[in-house]
Amino acid sequence: MDSHNQASSERSPSYSREQLSASGLARSRRAAIRRRARRIRRVVASFAAVLFSTVFLVVYVQLASGHDPALSKKHTAATAVVNTASTAGNTSTSKSTKSSTTAPSTSTESTKTASAVTTSQS
Amino acid sequence: MSEAEISETFDCFGSSCAVFVIGSGQQGSAQSAVDLVRRQLEAWHGRFSRFLPDSELSLLNDDERQEVPVSPLMARFAQAVVIAGSFTEGLVDATLIDQIETAGYVEDLSHSLALAIALRLAPARKPAAASMSRQWQRVEVNLAKSTITRPPGVKLDSGGLAKGLFADVLAEALRSHPSFAINCAGDLAIGGAEAVTRPIRVSSPFDGRILHTFNLRQTGVATSGIGRRSWLDSSRSPAHHLLDPSTGKPAFTGIVQITALAPSALMAEVHAKAAILSGPRAAPGWLPHGGVIVLDDGTHRVIEPAPVVTLSQLSAYTQHPRMQAHQAA
Repeated sequence: MDSHNQASSERSPSYSREQLSASGLARSRRAAIRRRARRIRRVVASFAAVLFSTVFLVVYVQLASGHDPALSKKHTAATAVVNTASTAGNTSTSKSTKSSTTAPSTSTESTKTASAVTTSQS
Repeated sequence: MSEAEISETFDCFGSSCAVFVIGSGQQGSAQSAVDLVRRQLEAWHGRFSRFLPDSELSLLNDDERQEVPVSPLMARFAQAVVIAGSFTEGLVDATLIDQIETAGYVEDLSHSLALAIALRLAPARKPAAASMSRQWQRVEVNLAKSTITRPPGVKLDSGGLAKGLFADVLAEALRSHPSFAINCAGDLAIGGAEAVTRPIRVSSPFDGRILHTFNLRQTGVATSGIGRRSWLDSSRSPAHHLLDPSTGKPAFTGIVQITALAPSALMAEVHAKAAILSGPRAAPGWLPHGGVIVLDDGTHRVIEPAPVVTLSQLSAYTQHPRMQAHQAA
């Protein structure tokens, strides 16, 4: 018996041999549980770090290569012009204008052309 | 495959309104959406005009009760009045009906005084300030119950705030359509599910020429100025509809027109009015999202909206040869 166990047995002289071996067993089990928890923690942390790095790298490479999905939407500047400037002088007679503007199209993709709007004080 | 844009321009709110819609959405076809906007705006004009004695607004203003049940949209408008007053610390005050009627604006104006003449006859320029009485602070709104509580006699003026609100409400209804623009008598809401870029042109109040063009996708825009709805009052002094809350008289601040950009048409309207009333020195501070300031002398200043920088643009910047050379040095 080593000095540590000797000291323990001196502090608790009433413990039987079976009890001492049971507490030793419990100690070793607790240590095993702690080792296992450490191992699991390490695995989860490593997995998260690898996953984050991979996703970050993929997104970064995609954006750095000029393939920003937000920019890849087809935005088209307008060509048609509709003047909607409001004038106080035209309020005495009610009038209404309807129009329909068709955008030029290509055979492969959808193109939308939005009319220009002129803003002026009301 | 191309999609047609359906548009319609019509008279409403004593001015001109327009709606542009591309593609189908929650409101059905583009034509159905355009029809809905027109129907709705014309109905709201009947309810929110202070020139119609039986409009909901006139009935509210004449109501002797402290707490008045109103429609949900009227409650939202009253809330907008409170928010505008609070946000601008009283500079944008939509409770000045008595003052504007005293100034002579008692009916829809079909003609305006020429801007050059109005500016020549106008008093010395000075920034406007908040009213001491701050009537808007006495307005309480319960949106859940749709009630407005205020002392009888405190009246609300629909003015530009209501138009901004209408544009925002209709924009919400049209948001599933690929692209739309609603011009509600100078207050614009543009947007759509596909964020199509739309040129927004700002015209001069002096000669109508285009001063600047913004290319925008989803935003609110409002233009406010003193060039229209102006007249000579009983003392032959030039008057217009933008009042200085501190004096209750038309404000001549040195600015004749402001176009403001903001996330919503209502906020754009508030920014535009606050900017024009605060004068040339303080106006840029009221345009954090961009805009155009037109001064008395005809000169103008453009404040571009803050650019949206994407990650790829940042990456491209760091990979720029000059940047790399700088890093190497």
